[in-house]
Amino acid sequence: MAKTATLHKESIGLKVVIYIVCVILAILSLLPFFIMFTNATRSTAEIQSSAISLYSAHPIQNLMRNWKVFNGKSFDPSTGFVNSLIVSTCTTILAVYFSCLTSYALFAYEWKLRDAFFGLIVGIMMIPGTVTMIGFYQAAYQVHMTNKLAMLIIPAIASPNMVFFMRQYLQASLSLEIVDSGRIDGAGEFMIFNRIVFPLMKPAIATQCIFTFVGSWNNLFLPQILLTKKEKYTLPIEVALLNSDIYQTEYGSIYLGLSLTVIPLLIIYILLSRYIVEGVALGGVKS
Amino acid sequence: MKSKKLVDYGKYGYLFSIPFILAFLVFSLYPILFTFYIGFSDFAGMTATVKDSKILWSEPFKNFATVFRANLFRKSFGNTCIIWIMNFIPQMGLALLLTAWFTDRRSKVKGQGIFKILFYMPNIITAATVAVLFTQIFAYPSGPINTTLIKLGLSEKGVNFMLTPGRVRGVVAFIQFWQWYGYTMVMLISGVIGINPEIFEAADLDGANRVQTFFLITLPCIRTIMLYVLVTSLIGGLNMFDIPALYAMDRGDAGGYTVNMYIKDVAFTGKQRYNLAAAASIIMFVIIVLLSLVLFYIMRDKDEAKLKKLKKQQLKAAKAKKAY
Amino acid sequence: MKKVIAGLLSVAMIAAMAGCNKATPTTTAAGTTASGESKPAETTAPAETTTAETTVKATYGEGPVHINLWSFTNEVPNMAQKYIQLNPEFGKKYTVDVTIIATTNQAYQPALDAALKNGEVDMYAAEAAFVLKYTKGDGAQFAAAYKDLGIDVDKAVKDAEIAQYTVDIGTRTSDSALVALGYQATGGAMIYRASIAKEVFGSDDPATVEKEVGGGSGKYDTFWKAAAKLKEKGYPIVSGDGDVWHMVENSSSSGWVVDGKLNIAPERQAFFDISKQLVDNGWCNETSDWQPSWFADMKGLPQEGKDNKSAFCFFGPAWLINYSMKDNCGGKEAPADGNYAGNTFGDWRVCKAPAGFFWGGTWVLASKSAAENADKKAGVAELINWITLDASDKGLQYLWANGLFAPNADGTPGTKDCVASGKVMATANGEVAFLGGQNMFPAFIAANANATGKNMTQYDENINALFREQVNQYAHGQKSIDDAIKDFRSRVADKIGEDGSL
Repeated sequence: MAKTATLHKESIGLKVVIYIVCVILAILSLLPFFIMFTNATRSTAEIQSSAISLYSAHPIQNLMRNWKVFNGKSFDPSTGFVNSLIVSTCTTILAVYFSCLTSYALFAYEWKLRDAFFGLIVGIMMIPGTVTMIGFYQAAYQVHMTNKLAMLIIPAIASPNMVFFMRQYLQASLSLEIVDSGRIDGAGEFMIFNRIVFPLMKPAIATQCIFTFVGSWNNLFLPQILLTKKEKYTLPIEVALLNSDIYQTEYGSIYLGLSLTVIPLLIIYILLSRYIVEGVALGGVKS
Repeated sequence: MKSKKLVDYGKYGYLFSIPFILAFLVFSLYPILFTFYIGFSDFAGMTATVKDSKILWSEPFKNFATVFRANLFRKSFGNTCIIWIMNFIPQMGLALLLTAWFTDRRSKVKGQGIFKILFYMPNIITAATVAVLFTQIFAYPSGPINTTLIKLGLSEKGVNFMLTPGRVRGVVAFIQFWQWYGYTMVMLISGVIGINPEIFEAADLDGANRVQTFFLITLPCIRTIMLYVLVTSLIGGLNMFDIPALYAMDRGDAGGYTVNMYIKDVAFTGKQRYNLAAAASIIMFVIIVLLSLVLFYIMRDKDEAKLKKLKKQQLKAAKAKKAY
Repeated sequence: MKKVIAGLLSVAMIAAMAGCNKATPTTTAAGTTASGESKPAETTAPAETTTAETTVKATYGEGPVHINLWSFTNEVPNMAQKYIQLNPEFGKKYTVDVTIIATTNQAYQPALDAALKNGEVDMYAAEAAFVLKYTKGDGAQFAAAYKDLGIDVDKAVKDAEIAQYTVDIGTRTSDSALVALGYQATGGAMIYRASIAKEVFGSDDPATVEKEVGGGSGKYDTFWKAAAKLKEKGYPIVSGDGDVWHMVENSSSSGWVVDGKLNIAPERQAFFDISKQLVDNGWCNETSDWQPSWFADMKGLPQEGKDNKSAFCFFGPAWLINYSMKDNCGGKEAPADGNYAGNTFGDWRVCKAPAGFFWGGTWVLASKSAAENADKKAGVAELINWITLDASDKGLQYLWANGLFAPNADGTPGTKDCVASGKVMATANGEVAFLGGQNMFPAFIAANANATGKNMTQYDENINALFREQVNQYAHGQKSIDDAIKDFRSRVADKIGEDGSL
């Protein structure tokens, strides 16, 4: 009797600790978003005198002005938005589909070079990104492939990180018996992958979609070097352009641009967050 | 029986890997080979072209020696390691703690769905935004943190967070920690969900308490995913660039100056010594490979390794029989 | 619930984007109204253009000959656009294709370098921080001499009385040919608070204050005496040591690199002690440039959570007033009650700084490939001439100096700025309300004459950052001056060039 009582007390104590920690972390997570959205409705001078504040003297008026500045620059935000959407969506689709295919090849079949290939993939992951980028952009200039959105999209077919992740996922959750039963039904190998295996990987795909889309959407360095024509700009380039005015920086419109940039990410994230909540089964033991 | 079938379908393994390999050859291999070439050549300066450059045959490792001699490279390597450790240990600790809380089958944390969603959110903001926000938060002489410290009487003049290497590294490590613990948590929870529930039931029957279950059952069972998290974090940590470059720069006596910043600076500023940048990144590549191999070795599945060996021997034996 | 939030966000996004498309046709009007409070370069089109002109384009003009213009802001592209609006026949002959790459992340230079190598650039802009690379350094071979474009530079420079330091910077070392010129003049002066000057020195008259701080003397001892006097009343003389740095940097007797070796000019060496003095004596508020606490000093408010007083002066060119101080002084007109705390509009005056210096500026270059192309040559020359050398009342600099490049909606002059041509400056009217009606041009013109561009190197931007960090470490007692100099030398060698062979 007494024992259960202390146990109960203990678990209440633990619960209190858990909630305090979680609430603090939650505030830390949300704060930057609030600051960003609030600053989009503040004037540049207000932001410069105190950047971290949830107060704006004339929110609507400032928002309109910031919007005018953002829209009054010589580039078109809607073009940037469309370009960003094209690049990120295509990148995500290509990366996810071909990573699943490659990881399936690594998982389901036994072939001579399999281990060597897997080793290669892990090896590629380890190459410092900065320098591959230097070589990549010099090559792009040599073959005159700058200002082509495809140059940012097609390389996503080879995404070693994701292949590695997908392989781990398949090992944890896919049983080859399902594949075998597909074969007995007379389905071809490619069909089995498309119809049976790919749908089964949905939870892993959803989380990877979030990671890839976010990474591609926020990518600045490579697009900034490769895309030099206005009609090819992505949204982050336009925000960086606002930021580059060395003599005067329009912070209000920068925050507006950043807010606009983050909203599509929030939409995608909220839509796919079910899989983050439910989790992706990815363990060491198959059931 | 099973293994025979797998051998039959082997060609599909090649077939399905073709798109990856093609994309890799065209878009990654060339830059990588180019990097290796540059690392052993005299390719430097703004007007450098492949045509005019040549490999340093007489002294092939000259660039590598120069990089090793550079104080700044050694310093940046030290910084990178320190910042990675400073952010990785608490990040892993918190992620494991949250994983333990959120996957505890005996008492469910209400609202954990919302918490999981929120904890990942710092990861979706661009590094540029994060750097601007934290520069303002830790600003000196007056910023939110310093104003609070002064008001609470904890500091008379405020703390200049940009002054000493330790403080700069601390803030950078904190930002990295804050951006990535949610991601790590999501990964680890994925691992725990994949564990067969029967194992936990067996542990319950044996009378294991919460802590015991977590350390003796959960942790060993999520080894593959731990390996993934460790390896990707190691690679990401040693390639750290965005936050240090945007927040720390040269400040704090270059306390937050990382290897990738060195690589980029050497390649794009001053005399634009691409060859040194390439050599430095090859060095980093080797270091990362070595450390990853160590991780792979420590985290290897001993049973699986044994099984594989056995399988190979059987296969050999079978082949030998056939040949005979 | 989640779906609902996502749905709402989508609607907001689509609405925003739709609004954006709709808003485009009105951009002209919007940009023009905004020009009074923002910088002229932001105005996409002047008031006289009709709505048909407003679709956002990457090209200006519609002629058969294409001119590729590269820039890191839209300032120079907007000038090209303006020129075509003023001279429609130019737009019939040429099309200006604009490429803008922000300097953040140092993306502009690598891309420009690659494009120059490929001969894809005809005209390009460079900022003071890196212009040397393209006029004297590794990139100088790509630049065309203005002479080779068919411009009679020697005569034009003399006629327009172009500020000498901009010519020095734009002259290529190898053949002494002029390859770049600016349109702005960025000579700096001391911009001080009149009310504080009256309280401490008994007068806010520029001539008196100039004497008190040793303006134009080239020495700092008088300045320190003034600092001590100000401190007695509680005022720090400057906001941070960065304010003094720009003056020290660009008034020193030699540059960072002399004969291929790293060189620390005595004036710059002295900055170690200047900075330490400022910190130890409380003569500054220890702020950093472009941070909120720095702007707080422009507003005349104490630092958040502290009881200090705001700084007495700033050092900078006219653009510092136009683009930073005006927006951050806390008001649009002078406070009626004469209390300047929180609104310093109208409380500022300019006088000569202790040492002549300049800060920032944009230079315009033409590429060799453009000079060799018979079709492009004349067009590029025409544009460059209009921007950098035309001193008539039709030239860009006349419009720029008198606030006519982007006038306010009601037709009153917009932001006035200093320009490179002394001839234009002599006739321009620099009276601004922000300075209590003072004509700012005389002080800045004097500064232009003192400024020297001879001691710059193409590595200045990077070396400055390394140097200032070591000075900061010394000033705050983190290391000795010898260690600081040793570390500085070692960092420069590692980051910029091989040991000793800069």
